[in-house]
Amino acid sequence: MIEVRELTKRYGGKPAVDDLSFQVRPGHVTGFVGPNGAGKSTTMRVILGLDAPASGEALVNGHRYAALPRPLRQIGALLDANAAHGGRSARDHLRCVARSNGIGVRRVDQVADLVGIGAVARQRVGRFSVGMRQRLGIAAALLGDPGTLMFDEPLNGPDLDGIRWVRGLFKALAAEGRTVLVSSHLMSEMALTADHLIVIGRGRLIADVRTEEFVRSSPRADVLVRSPRGDDLARLLTDRRAVVVAEPDGGLAVSGLDAGAIGRLAADHGIPVHELATRNASLEEAYLELTGDSVDYRAGTTGEDS
Amino acid sequence: MTSLPVTATTRARDVLAAEWLKLRSVRSTYLMLLLAVAGTAAVGLFATARAKVDSPGYFDAVEISLSGAVISQLAFGVFGALAITTEHTTGMIRTTFAAVPRRRAVLAAKAAVTGLLALAVGEVIAFGTFFLGQRELSSAHLDVGLADPDVLRAVAGAGFYLFVMAVVGLCLGTIIRHTAGAIAAIGVIFIEPLFVLTGFPAWLKDSVLWWAGQAVMSSRPRPGYPSASLGFIVCGVYAVLALAVATFVITRRDA
Repeated sequence: MIEVRELTKRYGGKPAVDDLSFQVRPGHVTGFVGPNGAGKSTTMRVILGLDAPASGEALVNGHRYAALPRPLRQIGALLDANAAHGGRSARDHLRCVARSNGIGVRRVDQVADLVGIGAVARQRVGRFSVGMRQRLGIAAALLGDPGTLMFDEPLNGPDLDGIRWVRGLFKALAAEGRTVLVSSHLMSEMALTADHLIVIGRGRLIADVRTEEFVRSSPRADVLVRSPRGDDLARLLTDRRAVVVAEPDGGLAVSGLDAGAIGRLAADHGIPVHELATRNASLEEAYLELTGDSVDYRAGTTGEDS
Repeated sequence: MTSLPVTATTRARDVLAAEWLKLRSVRSTYLMLLLAVAGTAAVGLFATARAKVDSPGYFDAVEISLSGAVISQLAFGVFGALAITTEHTTGMIRTTFAAVPRRRAVLAAKAAVTGLLALAVGEVIAFGTFFLGQRELSSAHLDVGLADPDVLRAVAGAGFYLFVMAVVGLCLGTIIRHTAGAIAAIGVIFIEPLFVLTGFPAWLKDSVLWWAGQAVMSSRPRPGYPSASLGFIVCGVYAVLALAVATFVITRRDA
């Protein structure tokens, strides 16, 4: 269980996290989503007591991090897969971390096997690939068998197999009743991974919703129609105040009428229809719309106005 | 997932054990200490061999055999600094502070394990090079023994001085957080006497770490140097002050 209350963190006067409040509950995978620079990592660092907030607080199981006697037994985190000494073997790295929280060597070997680095655990971390370092970081997070887990951009880096494995792991951890917070800047990724979403932009909370609900409420964009008599159909549709845009491949993108109405209209006029499909705006678009005003750095738009 | 009550002693032991494990599991520890052993022995042998031919006005059989401390003090300072700067440069420090949010306990444990290892190795180096040097000097009948006045204190003092260098190095590393910066700062301590020689007030000379160290590892009072007991005090003050500043800054910065 993680609780963030009215948290503000500034770097050089500029707020990185601005009056942010949310709760992360057990039994779910919670996605922590926002554009790069939105304040996700900062929030996680404050939760771990690494950065001190300007105001507000972050609690883990009702306590401030610094007050946890053996924190790794309550919360495990992977913030940066590179946060290990390259000259130390993976097993020694885990042993050092484990020992500081009174965790034994048996558990070290157990988590190394669990994340699939058991066979290479005696190799130096410096030789590890990005994916293996990430697994090492996950192993370190799991050491204390904590009830709460936190991962910063864990899907950014591993290959497809790795991503699938990580997703499965998060779901399994949540199914065991643990609290799992996973950050990402990609909404499409989180829609597949998380049950619940906390969306932030410019350090502020934008949405705190169930993933299902977020997907459902994503605006329905338009209907794609394909017909050999596209021109005739387009004329009929515009007569009914629909907005019709010709797509480069000959299809028509229609908004203002739903698929049923378009189908009936075509049938009434004997116009054959080869394809009729409602298109949801992609999740990513819905998310971009949501966070659009909160992106600090954006490439300048070029060319036509939209 | 429930946490049993953990006593302060258990936690302290956990942190100490973890830091000891860290120190033992990286090569730089062995490299620095080996460099110190080899460097001190080589310089000591060279200096004692030369002393037999070339008799200077001031001669101290102990000090001359320990003159390789010029090398080992640097190696010890770097060894101390690396104990924490490698954590900063690799990002390991965030893993460390997340595991043990009581940062002062981390610093204390680091100081304890690096300090004790430095003291142990420092004394081995001091006594080793002392005996090596005396054997060399014995052919010219210039050698002294541990039972001679102030000799034991000077030899043990050399080990103590190296321990102080490691602690100061660790603290500089904690304050500066970069390997290169910390090594540069240790270098400043090393070349400090050169500045003092050129026109600084005389009392400043007594507060120079390297001169204090020289006083500590000499068996005869040396003109212009602080006394041995003042030397010990100056060394101690450096270690305590460095620890105080490091303890102060370590909780006040984002990791």
